[in-house]
Amino acid sequence: MFATRKREIDCGLLAKSLIFQWPMLFLQYYLWIAPHLLLGWTLVASFRRGMHRRLPIFFAYAAFETFQFLTLLALSLLSPFPRDIYNWTLVLETGISSCLMLAVIYELANTLLLTQSSRAELLRPLLRWTLVVLMFVAAVSSAALSGATVRRVTNIFQVLDFSSSLVEVGMLVTLFLFSRTLHISWRNRATGVALGFGISACINLATTALRSGLGKSAFIAVDITQMAAFHVCVLVWLVYLYLPNRALAFAGSGLGKSDIQFWDQELQRITGR
Amino acid sequence: MIIPTIFVVLAFLGLLLILYIAKGHHSTAGNLDQLASQLRSVDVDAFRNLIDHREQDYLRERLPANEFRGIQRERMLAAVEYVRAAASNAAILIRLAEAARQNSDPAVAQAADKLLDNAIRLRLYAFRVVPRLYFGMLMPGVSLAPIDLADAYDTITRQVVMLGCLQYPTRGMSSAL
Repeated sequence: MFATRKREIDCGLLAKSLIFQWPMLFLQYYLWIAPHLLLGWTLVASFRRGMHRRLPIFFAYAAFETFQFLTLLALSLLSPFPRDIYNWTLVLETGISSCLMLAVIYELANTLLLTQSSRAELLRPLLRWTLVVLMFVAAVSSAALSGATVRRVTNIFQVLDFSSSLVEVGMLVTLFLFSRTLHISWRNRATGVALGFGISACINLATTALRSGLGKSAFIAVDITQMAAFHVCVLVWLVYLYLPNRALAFAGSGLGKSDIQFWDQELQRITGR
Repeated sequence: MIIPTIFVVLAFLGLLLILYIAKGHHSTAGNLDQLASQLRSVDVDAFRNLIDHREQDYLRERLPANEFRGIQRERMLAAVEYVRAAASNAAILIRLAEAARQNSDPAVAQAADKLLDNAIRLRLYAFRVVPRLYFGMLMPGVSLAPIDLADAYDTITRQVVMLGCLQYPTRGMSSAL
């Protein structure tokens, strides 16, 4: 009698906890699956628009992210769940993904800013030194932040996640500041790629730092926030993919009559000295 | 929690900066008329005079030290204003040249390309010159004449007028070319 009563209570509690957990579970799965479906859409749409030729490394990054998602999803569906294989796969793929993301940032710099020799002269060493400084800061702060857990794989993942986020934020902010300082305009799609990465990298940096500070209790909240940031990032890519290319807006425009008069006067004053 | 907090703050500042700059990219897109209205005249001769080291030596010899320092400070402040105006004009020319690069005529596109390159050079140069001029204010005895900036402004002025000639051959451009 008591055992039956206890089972009823247990079942009731389980049902109650499931009711409370269900929205969170749905949110977690939604934020894991939906951005990758949208990423698949982005891949197809960008292939149709020939972006794989203009930004091949970005295309490879998006393809790898999709592959990573499919691998992890397949592993998570296995029974019993192979926790260690899952974790090490996650670490390995995060490492590859971070390298690809850095390569995409260089690709953005190349396609957007390095076409002119004068920009290349300044930007190449600027990016090189920014990367060196960021690597150093990442190494020092990773050591300072080390909220070492008992699991080696978790520690490696945290260091990798934090360091790559820091480097990405630093490089992207440098690129944005460079373009702003020189008033160089970016093409729409490349701006979209940079903006998407920028949003995602900044949120990742903030959350990985918080995860190190708050410890295990913050893991789920951090995961959800990072997945939401990636969702926003993919949405930004998609929106920019469908926006008309801004380069066309300039077409046909040029020096106006007032501009020509102004510069003509400037030249006459210079030569009239 | 101090180090994580620092990174959280830095990350949000980075995010705000990226969003602000990306928004700026959109708001200025294609708005060439508005950009052109911001052009400021730069008297290159006056600028050359301000940064001429012979002029500086002459003033140093003729004036008491205190008075010379005051005047030199005024001269360098004026030079900074000229540099800022030149850099601002260069920024506008970068946009105008980018627009002209889309032109179907290869001669116009090539002229626009050269103008773009030199306008960027001028802007980069201006960023390096301003701190030197401020340093010149603090150390009036040190010669920091950034004469290249005036030459660079000369060059882009010729190039923009040349571009105008190529784009609108019938308008009757400067005889100064």
